[in-house]
Amino acid sequence: MPEKPIKGDKRYFMTGNEVVAYAAVMANADIMYGYPITPQNEIMHYWTRMAPKYGKEFLQTEDELSAGFTTVGGVLAGRKAFTATAGPGNTLMQEPISMAEAMRLPIVVAVQQRGGPSTATVIYSQQEVTLTTFGGNGEGFRIVYSTATHQELYDYTIKAFNTAWKYRFPTFILGDGYQAKMRESLTMYDPESRGIELVSPEAYVGMPGTPGIDRPPGQYRNTYNVEEELYEVLQQYQKEYDAIAPEVAEFESLGAEDSDLVVVSHGVVSRAAKEAVMELREAGVKVGYFRPITLRPMPEKQLREVANKAKTLLIAESAIGQLARLVKDSIYGCGAGIIPLFKPGAGITAEEISAKIKSVLG
Amino acid sequence: MRLNISSRIVEAYVGEYASGKSEVAVNRALMLSRLGRTVTLVDLDIVEPCYTLRPIKLELIAAGIQVLAWETRDTEGLGEAGNVIRAENRWALKRPGDIILDIGYGVGGSRTLNLLEGAGTDPDLRVVAVINASRPMTASIEDITGYVGELGNVNMLINNTHLGDETTADIVQEGARLVSGASVILDMPVLATTAAEEIAAIIGPKDCAGNQVWAIKRYMPQTFW
Amino acid sequence: MSVQLAMPKSWRVDTKPHKFCPGCGHGLVLKALGEAIDELGIQDKAVYGCDIGCSLLSWDFFNIDAIQTHHGRTTPVITGIKRANPEVIGIAYMGDGGGYAIGSQHLVNAAARNEKITLILVNNTQYGMTGGQMAPTTMPGQKTETSPYGRDPEKTGYPTQGPEMVAAITQEGAYVARGTVANPKQMKGFIKKALENQINGRGFSFVEILSTCPTNWRTNAEDTWKFLEKDMTKYFKVGEIKVPESRHEEGK
Repeated sequence: MPEKPIKGDKRYFMTGNEVVAYAAVMANADIMYGYPITPQNEIMHYWTRMAPKYGKEFLQTEDELSAGFTTVGGVLAGRKAFTATAGPGNTLMQEPISMAEAMRLPIVVAVQQRGGPSTATVIYSQQEVTLTTFGGNGEGFRIVYSTATHQELYDYTIKAFNTAWKYRFPTFILGDGYQAKMRESLTMYDPESRGIELVSPEAYVGMPGTPGIDRPPGQYRNTYNVEEELYEVLQQYQKEYDAIAPEVAEFESLGAEDSDLVVVSHGVVSRAAKEAVMELREAGVKVGYFRPITLRPMPEKQLREVANKAKTLLIAESAIGQLARLVKDSIYGCGAGIIPLFKPGAGITAEEISAKIKSVLG
Repeated sequence: MRLNISSRIVEAYVGEYASGKSEVAVNRALMLSRLGRTVTLVDLDIVEPCYTLRPIKLELIAAGIQVLAWETRDTEGLGEAGNVIRAENRWALKRPGDIILDIGYGVGGSRTLNLLEGAGTDPDLRVVAVINASRPMTASIEDITGYVGELGNVNMLINNTHLGDETTADIVQEGARLVSGASVILDMPVLATTAAEEIAAIIGPKDCAGNQVWAIKRYMPQTFW
Repeated sequence: MSVQLAMPKSWRVDTKPHKFCPGCGHGLVLKALGEAIDELGIQDKAVYGCDIGCSLLSWDFFNIDAIQTHHGRTTPVITGIKRANPEVIGIAYMGDGGGYAIGSQHLVNAAARNEKITLILVNNTQYGMTGGQMAPTTMPGQKTETSPYGRDPEKTGYPTQGPEMVAAITQEGAYVARGTVANPKQMKGFIKKALENQINGRGFSFVEILSTCPTNWRTNAEDTWKFLEKDMTKYFKVGEIKVPESRHEEGK
């Protein structure tokens, strides 16, 4: 058995992309398939550097369609397979992801959001929320973790493989270009030393024995003949998704229970939101902070509780209302009003959020 | 044209997309069935098989018609549109009694009949081109003659001109005039003019060009395609 | 008592009779593939992927692990499986539209990378399942639903020479051939050699099979065979196009 790169807990200073590569190795991922696109490239760079040392495989494909479909193939072969992409690559990858959704294949995808629409910028945005949560011609049977720190990139990359293989829904680590390239410290650890049991993969094809003699053949399709047949399958998927949603959903909240105004944000923007809220609370301003960590499923119950108590939700995001749509959908019928702070493709500072809060509170 | 009641009737309905081939074929099958005749209705629509007949298949069977069409449930991949010919349909002409063939549209035209065993030698087979003069590609005598000329072997025309819910007797009569005009140039008879029951009642047993009028029911609005 | 011709051992009997149209060539190709699998004894190792289009009707055709993928995407799915588990024998089965149009980038790059998988591409000169549209392989002058006046090479090019292209871009070790359902024995031989090429770890293997589609050609039995044997072979030359051993010998 090849050694692991991380043995005991240790603090490291890294970029986010490196963190994802290390976390994938530590999650016992077997193979990565990828196609170059900024700002996710160093995930591939570091995976390929480590691959021979730790018995891992890599295939650079001809495009993201292929990267997604080869990842689907890797999972079918019973390996922990993953890929990483961004922007226009994420657009292409929706096709293989929809096949994974239809066939409940536990692929893992790291998305480092860049500006959109189109080629836009290679730098940063939160504009791939809609695509990552509900892309493809389907119903969004996916699990999406939106990370805010390098520590979370590490924790949730490891968790994503477990979530995917436990529930058999495509699972995403949704980062962004800032997190991808930013340098900060984190603790890397061997998950097993912390009692995190790594879920073992299972093969869909190529199992031992001769099909039809020793075992039935493993045969899978995503085409249905009649409406009723598809309807039945999707009803069952929805039922299973609804059942696991409460245990999968995660959130972070601060003073949201006793504040008239609560700032709702996700990902790297929530760092600024948290800072602004903490400073204002220290100064005696009653303002709250709520951050969904899973954007799919949303932490609906907790968010509704907040929206039933607070008068106003200030939604801050680096997109024009992609998070806001998920929030509105979750809190339909609750009392709180919504004030936007939308900066598509641009970062949001604590000062901007603080100023906005002050202007709202008057 | 007079139909000899005792003889075997074999009619293949061809024509433009959405010209009403299935509608006419279904009504024709029911018409013959009501006369106490043995009728087999065959779906030879290759581009959109079974979609048109599927919702009314049971109704047709209850009316005593034998229906040769895929059960959608049995046709893998028809969600992808799909086209597959049932082996049974290939031998349809060998069945006893009347045979009504619903041929889908396509550049193949009546050449789809090449897929049927015995189509080249069946003495009773009549290929009927269904014309709805409210369709843009068959809206004038010139359009109709040009279109029918491309269909391959055709023996008769049928005027199925209508405008859906907006159909009036005048629209049907105008279609009759155009189709009859084309029939002179093409040198082939007009089998009939079809009209929904309430319109047929206004027109009477013959249209303005002297063609017999078939009062039909519009089943296709119940179907999907 | 009727005589039932023997089915390949690797076929799934409970999914027969199959659902291809009467006169369709797919059944012949899949029989040759089944026999090749039987003779090579790889039923326990083979993993079969089929495309969208009529080829998808084969998703449960064999007693072999199988995946029905997306249109054009069978090549990357089988590539992904083979890369993750090199023990399997990966077979990607597709039509001409899937291989030469929507999935052409996957074909070109899998070939260029010398992926150790086997592609079988059935060429019947049009898109069958969607109702007979023009494909990269449609013959000049051939009428289809999207070339209603006949394919005009000035506007839409000439039929894709798939195996010739694959032979040109693959390295030593690849196996490339074009068979026809008109010659089942030769076709089976090509498919078997292609699989052997993968079993021996030599490299990419690709077999195009000229096949029939009477349904969309609107042809009777006689004209179907005439089109296959006379018209199609004018453009698509049947035979082995790249064979590792012979190349090796040439170099001596």
